[in-house]
Amino acid sequence: MNWTVLAVAWIAAWSAALIWFVLLVVRRARSPQRSSKSRWERISALLIDGVAMPVLLLNASLTGAWVPLVAVGIALTLWTFAPRWIASLVIPATLLGVGFNGFLLLRAYSRGELWVSAYGLTIPGYGSRFTHSVLPQACAFIAGGLWLGWRRLDRQSWLYQRVLYIAGCAGEHGRPRWGLVLLPLVGVLVELLGRTSWLGLSWWTASVTLFVTVATVVLVVRAPAVAADLAIVGVILLGLYGVALAAWWPMHIPLPSPYTTDVRFVAVVVNSRGTALLAGAQGLALVGFGLWLIPRAIDDRTRLLLRSAADLDLTARVARLTRSRADAVDTASAQLRSLERDLHDGAQARLVALGMSLRAAERLIPSRPDAAAVLVAEAREASLKVLDELRSLVRGICPPVLADRGLADAVRALALDTPLRTDVQVDLPGRPALPVETACYFAVAEALANAVKHASARSVTIRIEHRDRLLRITVIDDGVGGADPRMGSGLAGLERRLGTFDGVLAVNSPLGGPTIVAIEVPCALSSQKISTYSGTG
Amino acid sequence: MRVVLAEDLYLLRDGLTRLLQAHGIDVVAAVGSGTELLAELLAQRPDVAVIDVRLPPTFTDEGLRVALEARRQLPGLPVLVLSQYVEQLYARELLSDQGGSVGYLLKDRVFSDEAFVEALRAVAGGGTVLDPEVIAKLLRRRAAEEPITTLSPREREVLELMAQGRSNAAIAQRLFVSEKAVSKHSTSIFIKLGLEPSDDVNRRVLAVLAYLNS
Repeated sequence: MNWTVLAVAWIAAWSAALIWFVLLVVRRARSPQRSSKSRWERISALLIDGVAMPVLLLNASLTGAWVPLVAVGIALTLWTFAPRWIASLVIPATLLGVGFNGFLLLRAYSRGELWVSAYGLTIPGYGSRFTHSVLPQACAFIAGGLWLGWRRLDRQSWLYQRVLYIAGCAGEHGRPRWGLVLLPLVGVLVELLGRTSWLGLSWWTASVTLFVTVATVVLVVRAPAVAADLAIVGVILLGLYGVALAAWWPMHIPLPSPYTTDVRFVAVVVNSRGTALLAGAQGLALVGFGLWLIPRAIDDRTRLLLRSAADLDLTARVARLTRSRADAVDTASAQLRSLERDLHDGAQARLVALGMSLRAAERLIPSRPDAAAVLVAEAREASLKVLDELRSLVRGICPPVLADRGLADAVRALALDTPLRTDVQVDLPGRPALPVETACYFAVAEALANAVKHASARSVTIRIEHRDRLLRITVIDDGVGGADPRMGSGLAGLERRLGTFDGVLAVNSPLGGPTIVAIEVPCALSSQKISTYSGTG
Repeated sequence: MRVVLAEDLYLLRDGLTRLLQAHGIDVVAAVGSGTELLAELLAQRPDVAVIDVRLPPTFTDEGLRVALEARRQLPGLPVLVLSQYVEQLYARELLSDQGGSVGYLLKDRVFSDEAFVEALRAVAGGGTVLDPEVIAKLLRRRAAEEPITTLSPREREVLELMAQGRSNAAIAQRLFVSEKAVSKHSTSIFIKLGLEPSDDVNRRVLAVLAYLNS
């Protein structure tokens, strides 16, 4: 092998890669698309491009492993150009692979199979003190891979949803408490690993304990149900191992270590038939404990998996109805409260004042009729204000034109009162129930108000149609877009109100517009428009 | 002047009757439902009808529907529609036959009886009277659109009063200007709205309709 050629090739490859990275980093930092992402996402991207990947490349090239170089190149290409889920898979996988490679190196050094090689930022070797730097670096690579995988995970993807579903991690109400049983299990596992000491390195135990404990805590906090399931599986497997020890004694199941002389299982050192039986008993207890835990760690969603499709639908429906009923009750009582307040502070107070003015006028009539006349005139003015207030109150409860004419004309009237160019298209052969009409009316009113207030729209198109027992309303404006239904409580409240009728409200509002508000409510129509005047008397 | 009155609440019906009689107006029939109203309108052929929008049997916009039906059968029958609330939509429907002699007012307006009776006489005389609230809504909406943006604030005021059924003299008095100035303003309004001078159409009504039907 010509070392000069190899060295030149390496330097050339390394320089090219470095230049590429610099260009990538600069391009990505300047790209306007990136700037819309969060600061942390940009920083992590810079770190990966600027630090992690060069280190990986350096590592791969120093050990003469050209294949990893190509793999990393492919990964980088994907990272830059490919869809998100590929990037989220390949990069973390590469990091995890390099981390695992560190463990393999350690094992090779400890056996004297490998003299020296590069790893990460160091060149460790057999007996070298840099050898001790391999483990932290490997742990860092694995942690980085896990972290990236977690961050880059497409949570909307089918795969992720499926995994979550099967793992039973998606319980909406409260977290399963069983994740906590993982902690004692980790203790047992670390004890086992430490005693058997795979790599023959004394500080291995402490590092692994630290790493596994951190991973466990993260798992329990972020995904308690997954942690619980893993813990149960671990408990059962450990128990089976104990049973196997007892069954095959003295030919104990060999652990992958050249240095171990005795086998420990939980609380006993297995070195005789008696202790083997003891280990078996402990194993049985663990298996039993694990089996007992299984049904208790299954959360609502996993439980659903075990039922029939009809049951599933019914359960989901009951849950939805319970929620929407609670919403409806809340909304109704809130409306009543505000109505009561408005009447109490407005109309009632004004009527009291009115009564007092009239009483004063009554007293003044014999002595000073002119003053009485002034008071009466004031009282009349006050009564106008009361009427005005009551009118706006009634409009807020159920606009009269809605009660009179139904949704189509009410929306037309609404459009007439809007200072925008409006186009109302209606295809509605009858009338929905009044509560449905009212909810839809207020949703349209809110959408129109938003178009005027926030979207600086110039024209609005409203379409109302009824097909396949579904009332569908779309409000489209030509404004600036960028509306988020979660930002204002207005649309969210209407969504809840529509939810009472199994209705949905969706907002599509890209930056730059247009904004489309779509409402769908399943409902039947009454066959005839009510109160069509016959004209014959 | 002979008036047919329709109002379902007895107290209000009684009060309105007395108010009109106090101003020397002859209430030939005072009814409480839509069906009775149509029959009375067709039988009595009054000079003007005062109609509440909400009437039995449906308690929706029965009054409005009867008014439209009666005007279909007796074209040009003057009607003054009263309501607890005003809608541009209803105003449009009332004005849609372009026959004039139409009024649409909030019920509150009966509190000032002179103005109310004046409006009633204007309707009976072929005028168009819209509630200030309808006009305000119209102007707010049309402010964003083409022809109205060319009107000056003063012209807008004049148009608003015109739509309320006031004569040039009344408008002049209200705005503290000379009657000549008002007629100058109204000519300017007609030109800006593209209403050609013509002898046989009431441009004042058309000016209001120009908004409603644009």
